[in-house]
Amino acid sequence: MVATEKPKLITAPTFADRLRNLALSQEGVLFIITIIAILLLSTQNENFLTASNLLNQGRLLAEVGLVALPMTYIIITGGIDLSVGSIFGLCAIILGFSWQEWGFPLPAAIALALFIGGFAGFVNGIFIVRVRVPPLIMTLATLALYRGLALGISEGSSARGFPEWFFTLGQGRFMDVPTQIWLLVIFTVISGVILATTTFGRSLYAIGNNETGARFSGLPVDRYLLMIYTFSGLMSGLAGYIFVSRVSTTRSDMGTGLELDVIAAVVLGGTSIFGGTGSITGTVIGVILIQLLKNGLALSGVTSDATIIVIGTVLILSILVNRLLENYKAA
Amino acid sequence: MTAVATSKDGSKAEAASSRTPIVFIPFVLGVVMLIGYFVLPFINQPELGATTIPLLTANRDNNELDVITNGLRLLWLSGVVVTALGVWSIYEPRVDRTVSVLTVIGGIVALTYYVIFYMDYRAEEATFFSSIGIGFWVMIAAAVLMIVQVAVPRGQPAKHFEVQYMLGNQETVLILGIVALLVIVGITNPRFLAERNLLDVLQGNAYIAVAAIGMSVVIVTGNIDISVGSLIGLLAVISGRLVVNGAPVIIAWTLPILIGIGVGAFIGALVAYLRVPSIVVTLGMLSILKGILIIWTNGERVTGMPEAFFLAQQRYLGVSVPIWTMIILTILAAIWMRYSQLGRSLYAVGGNAEAARLSGISPRTVVLQAFMINGLFTGVAAVLYATQFQVIQATPPPSLELFIITAAVVGGVSILGGVGTAIGATLAAILLNMIRSALVFINVSPFWIQAVQGTLILVTVLADLLRRRRQRQRG
Repeated sequence: MVATEKPKLITAPTFADRLRNLALSQEGVLFIITIIAILLLSTQNENFLTASNLLNQGRLLAEVGLVALPMTYIIITGGIDLSVGSIFGLCAIILGFSWQEWGFPLPAAIALALFIGGFAGFVNGIFIVRVRVPPLIMTLATLALYRGLALGISEGSSARGFPEWFFTLGQGRFMDVPTQIWLLVIFTVISGVILATTTFGRSLYAIGNNETGARFSGLPVDRYLLMIYTFSGLMSGLAGYIFVSRVSTTRSDMGTGLELDVIAAVVLGGTSIFGGTGSITGTVIGVILIQLLKNGLALSGVTSDATIIVIGTVLILSILVNRLLENYKAA
Repeated sequence: MTAVATSKDGSKAEAASSRTPIVFIPFVLGVVMLIGYFVLPFINQPELGATTIPLLTANRDNNELDVITNGLRLLWLSGVVVTALGVWSIYEPRVDRTVSVLTVIGGIVALTYYVIFYMDYRAEEATFFSSIGIGFWVMIAAAVLMIVQVAVPRGQPAKHFEVQYMLGNQETVLILGIVALLVIVGITNPRFLAERNLLDVLQGNAYIAVAAIGMSVVIVTGNIDISVGSLIGLLAVISGRLVVNGAPVIIAWTLPILIGIGVGAFIGALVAYLRVPSIVVTLGMLSILKGILIIWTNGERVTGMPEAFFLAQQRYLGVSVPIWTMIILTILAAIWMRYSQLGRSLYAVGGNAEAARLSGISPRTVVLQAFMINGLFTGVAAVLYATQFQVIQATPPPSLELFIITAAVVGGVSILGGVGTAIGATLAAILLNMIRSALVFINVSPFWIQAVQGTLILVTVLADLLRRRRQRQRG
C-alpha cells in the first residue's frame, strides 16, 4: 500500500515478484496461518479434519459470513456498522412474531423480516448520508434502538413450533452440503466479483481512500453508501432468518455481540479499519480461520471461553504482523 | 478578529459603569428564596405545623413526607443556584443576559415544588390555600418573579456572553436536559424526586460516569476503547478475589487501578508505537479480557468480602463515596484537560496529529498517556463497581462499553477527535441513567425501555450534530 506510492521502474513484475507480493499480502499471510492452524489442529484431534465436521462448521459460520460481506464493503469505505447484531435479533423477532402473533403466513413473515432488515440498514444509511452522522455513532445508537425494538415487540417471550419446511435453510442439505453453505458461497462469489470488477466496487475503494476526492470525481458517493448500508441490513436480516431456521426458535437477545465477531473476521481478513483496502477473499479466510480456531480448540478440549482469548490474540497479532510486513515492503 | 477585540475592550471598560440595578435582580431573588426556605418555620403559624420543615424532617421515615422534604431540597437548591448566579452576574455584568435565562429555570424548579406540594395536599384532602403560611407566599412570589424578570430589557452583552453562545455548549444543554427531566417526571410522579431514588441513580451509576471521563480522554485523541466493559468486569473480580483471599483492603482497592493503568499502557503502546488501529487492538483485548474473566471465575460470583471492603457503600459528609469520586474526578479531569500541557496536547493530537507533531508535540507519547489515563479511570470505575454490592458478578453488565462510549459521545466528544470535555461526559452519564430510571417511574413497560432509550440517544446525538454544524456555519 505504501509501496505503490513510490515511483517504480516500468518493468513487468516477474513471477517470483508476484509470488512474493502474494505471500506478503494480508490474504497470503492469513492463508498461511490458516493452513498451519489446520495442520496443528488436525494433529490434536482426528475428528477435526473430517468432511462431516468441516461441513458442520460451515453451517455454523454461514451467519457471520453473510454479514461479513457487506461489512467488508462498509469498512472499505471507511465506515462501520455496529448495529448488525441488533438488526439480526430484530429480524428474528419480527419473523417469529409476525407469524405467530400477528397471523402472517410464514412466507410473508420471512419477507417482512427481510424487508425490515433492509429498512433498518436504510435508516442507518440515510442518516449517515443526509445528516452526515459518523457511521460509528449512528450505528451505535441504532444498536441500542433496534435491540430495544426487538425486546419491546417480543416482550421477552419467544416463538417456536415452525412447520417442517421452514427448517430447510437452516438444517437441511442440498447435494450433501448444508443449504446455507450454498447460499453463502453464491453471495460470496457475487459480492467478491462486484467488489473486484465493477465500477461500483472500485468506487468503494475510492470513497475509502478519499471521500471528498471521490465526490469531486463525480462518483455518486451518497447513493453507494446508502446502498451498502441497506445491503448490510438486508444480509443481517437474512442471517437472522437462517439462524432462526437453524435453532428453531426466536429470542430477542439473538445476535448479541455478532457485530464484534463480524468486524473481527473482516479486520482479520486484511481490510483496513481506516478504509481504502481489503477484499472479500480476505474476509472469507478471516471468517473461516475464526470458525476453525473455535472448533479445533473445542475439539482439543479447550473450553469455548478460552477460544475467544485465542481469537483476540490472533486478531491483534495478525494486524501487527501485517504492519511489520508493510514496513518491510516499504523499506 | 479586530472587531471582536475592540468590542471586548469596549465592554470591559463599560463593565464598571454598566452595573445597572438589573444586574442585582437574580441575587436578590435567590436570597429571598433562601430566606424563605430557612425562615419559613418561624413565620408560619405553629399550629399549621405540617408545612414546617422540622416536622417534615422529623417524619423522614414516612415515604409520603419524603416527597415533600425532597421538594424542599429542590427549593433550597434552586435558591442556592440562583444566588450563585446572582453573584456571578454582579461580578461580571456582561453575563447578565445568560444569568437571567438560567434564573428562569430556578423559578420553574421552585414552582414545580409548589405543584408537587399542592398535589400532595389535595391527596390529603386539606385546603392548600388556607394552610399555606406567609413564607410560602413570599417564595411563590419570588419564583414567579424569577420567571418574569427575563422580560426586563437589557443591554447587548459581549459575544462570549450571548445567550445563544452559552446555550451552545453541550454541557449547558445536558444540564437543561437533566432539569427538564426532573421537572417533568417529578410532576408526573413525585416519587422520582425522592432523595433515595436520585441518590440511587447517581450512586449506582457513578462508575459509568468515571469510565466515561476516561473514554472521553481517549476519544479526544481520535482513538477509541471498546474493551472497557470487559476490563471493568475483570478488575472488579480481581479486587474481590484479592480481599477474599486475605489481602488488605487497601491493596484490593489500589491493585486493580494499577493493573488498569498497565493494561492501558499495553493498549496504548500497541496503538502509538506499533500503529495498530485502536479499534482493532481493543476489539482483540475485549475478547482476551472476557475470555480470561470467564475461565478464571468459571462463571461464579465473588462473595464473602469483609465489611470494610465496600468502599462504594461508605459515606462522607452524608454523600456516598461514588458520588464524591465522580465529582472530584470530573473536576480534576476538567481542569487537567483544559489547563495542563498534556491535556491541551490531547486536543492538538486529536485535531490534527501531523500539525501537533510539527509543533513539537509527540503524538505517540500523548496517545500512550491517554490510554494510561483511561486505564486509571477504568480501574477506579472497577473498584466502585466491585464495592457497591455484596456480590461481584462474574460478567459485567452487558454492553457496558457501548453505554460508556455513548455517554462520552452524548457528552459532546466528537468521535473524530479534538473536541469534548470531562464535565460533558459526566453529565451525559448522569442524564442517560436518569432517563433509564425515569422511564420506570412514568410506567413505561420494562420491555420498551431500551427502545425509548435508544431513540433518545439518537435524538441527542442528532441534535448535538445539527447544533454544532449551525455553530460552524455561523462562524
